[in-house]
Amino acid sequence: MLPLRYSLGNLAARRTRTLLTVAVIALVVIATTLFGSLVSSLRRTLVGTGDERNLIVLRKGATNDGSSVIPLEAFQSLRFFEGIARDAAGNPLASPELVVQPFFRTAEGGRENVLVRGVEAVALQVHDEVAIVEGRMFQPSSGEAIVGSGVAGRYVGARVGDTLPFGRGHWKVVGRFDSNGSSFESEVWVDVRELAADAKRTIPYSGLRVRAADGADMDALARRIDADPRYALEALPEPAYYEKQAESANSLYFIVIGLAVLAGIGAAFGATNTLYAAVQSRRAEIGTLRALGFSRTAIVVSFLIESLAIAFGGFAVGAALAALLGRLVSYWLGGIAFGAATFTTNVIQLRVGASDLAAALALALVIGLAGGLAPAAHAARMRPIEALRRA
Amino acid sequence: MKFLPFIWRQLARNKLRTALTAGAIGLAVSLVCLLLTMPAGLDALLSDVASNTRIVVHNEAGLVYPLPYAYLQKIRAQPGVVSAASWTWYGGVFREEKGVEFPNFAVEPDPLGSVWADWKLDPQQLEAFRRHRDGAIVGRGTLLKNGWKIGDRVTLKGTIYPVDLSFLIVGEIASERAPHFWFQREYLDQALRAAGRGGLDILGIVWVRVDDPARVAPLMREIDELFHNSEAVTASETEKSYFANFFSMLEGFVTVILIVTGLVALCIVFIAANTASMAVRERLGEIAVLKALGFSRRLIFGTLLTEAVLLATLGGALGALGALGLTQLLRSGGGWNPALGPLGSFIVTQTILVQGLFLALFVGMISGVVPALGAARRSVAETLREVF
Repeated sequence: MLPLRYSLGNLAARRTRTLLTVAVIALVVIATTLFGSLVSSLRRTLVGTGDERNLIVLRKGATNDGSSVIPLEAFQSLRFFEGIARDAAGNPLASPELVVQPFFRTAEGGRENVLVRGVEAVALQVHDEVAIVEGRMFQPSSGEAIVGSGVAGRYVGARVGDTLPFGRGHWKVVGRFDSNGSSFESEVWVDVRELAADAKRTIPYSGLRVRAADGADMDALARRIDADPRYALEALPEPAYYEKQAESANSLYFIVIGLAVLAGIGAAFGATNTLYAAVQSRRAEIGTLRALGFSRTAIVVSFLIESLAIAFGGFAVGAALAALLGRLVSYWLGGIAFGAATFTTNVIQLRVGASDLAAALALALVIGLAGGLAPAAHAARMRPIEALRRA
Repeated sequence: MKFLPFIWRQLARNKLRTALTAGAIGLAVSLVCLLLTMPAGLDALLSDVASNTRIVVHNEAGLVYPLPYAYLQKIRAQPGVVSAASWTWYGGVFREEKGVEFPNFAVEPDPLGSVWADWKLDPQQLEAFRRHRDGAIVGRGTLLKNGWKIGDRVTLKGTIYPVDLSFLIVGEIASERAPHFWFQREYLDQALRAAGRGGLDILGIVWVRVDDPARVAPLMREIDELFHNSEAVTASETEKSYFANFFSMLEGFVTVILIVTGLVALCIVFIAANTASMAVRERLGEIAVLKALGFSRRLIFGTLLTEAVLLATLGGALGALGALGLTQLLRSGGGWNPALGPLGSFIVTQTILVQGLFLALFVGMISGVVPALGAARRSVAETLREVF
């Protein structure tokens, strides 16, 4: 085996060429990581929403809670179904909710549809990942609102203490909440009755969220809700519901994968070029090595190490820059807004996650391997005598 | 010109390298073209579709807040209004598991031809739309994606209204960017009455054709004033500002796409520069001999630069054509994507092709200039001494 120092030394000896190839791979890594993390952040936000102990109840056939209506009587009878958890006072953990999508103004003067969720106090128990991190919960019937952290930074009048105009009225922002990065953070919560009055909805609820009791059979509960002949309702575990909502992001995945593949092949071509040139200019050296008794395998391995080292270097530089760039872009734009299928805005913080980096590393190493293999094999096939003679 | 064969020979000398470089540049240029279709789709929508004498009136609170249907008549009565049509979101789904795949609206058939005069709707199809209570006029984009044609029957399942409606497609909106599905408001109204739900007394938004561009701004003000103290306050805006606002939420996404595009473009520069410098380095001896034979520095510089530019442009041309082919594939599989809106149209326009080619040309110049200059400047005696 040739020492590792030999391969790495060769890279240092042809600095410009090495640096250019590293730069190419780094750029491909940045491009795919940035784009990939945008999509995975979006998916994380959507899929990360919801609790596996919760059921979402909508009208049959409704694809999201924006297009569903649930009559008051249905809520009144459903909340006492067996299998629904209760709080210490014995009240069922069933949260009636109404969603509307009014316009909000961004600081730059644009307007976006934001999801406003009308809830009752019980919502904080059903969605227990939602935690108020500033201020307090709203008081019912007093024109107060609490805002998700994504909303607070992006829209005019959405900070705690501000007056927020939306719908037909003005709302006082009294609190800000987090939900571990899920899509609730892109929402505004107000009193459900006040919201129904503001939106002039005669049927006050668009959906229910119920928490199943510990040890209760969720499927049985869902089946009982589905089968109730009085109301055409449908119950679905929350994670399954949000997974469905996230499907719109799936087509984006294809674009990102296509991007990564195309850019990756291009970069592999570039790497191949560099290594071919390296093999060409080291004919004499390779001939000498072979004459000294180093095996073909040793030479292949040495060249592959060279190309993998380039690829790894490119990955390291690219990953660091991508993480930095992601933060900068998020900061500049106040979070990246993205409209899901419901036409409401999800505010996403672009974070380069471990899985994005792992994918980028795999891409870089594949580029290195693909780019190094042909030149390495070419070098190994050289007959020592010929290589030395021509040199 | 007479040196073109010489340059060609130089490119053909290391075929593998030339092919790999052209391939890398081609792939990158095709990527740039593909990515550029996204912001270009947005721009095209704003400039092609938006008419300067069409305004839209909607509820000030948001697009999901309806307006009373009576507003349509009041708007029509304003001076300067040529015609007005309303859109009411039906939210019909074709494949239930997919949700709403294309925007479908209940409209009045009569004013369509006038309000969207610039869309060149076929008068015969409009007539058929008027005659068939269950008729539908569908955007070409949606027709293509679902494999529908005029004369087909399709059933949409209502998600907002508790009625499912069956339609006969009688016409198309002749633009691949148009996803709309229009049907008669009266059809939905009657279906709702038949289901015991009362009629349809609301509308979503109103589109107004104004007689004179100078009337647009005053008319918008007058309409909003008219409803200022009513149960639903309106906000009027030009079609352009409406769409621009509608898609402002995609701005961040477009920014990321543009950054990525820039990175990929930079990538091509490096790949091309690498190749150009390798080509020159290997040929130093030869170049010195040429100079010794009396070839001028300018000529050496010119041929080397042309070589780099030619290679990049060839690669770029291949890439741009590849992008054109790829988008055909993408569109047959994708179509209107609610998540991407106008970004998902994937149409490589002539402008994008030209941009891609110019990028390649530019890349060739930048990448070739430094090595070519270096080679031209190098002293002959020194090089020859080093090489031989």
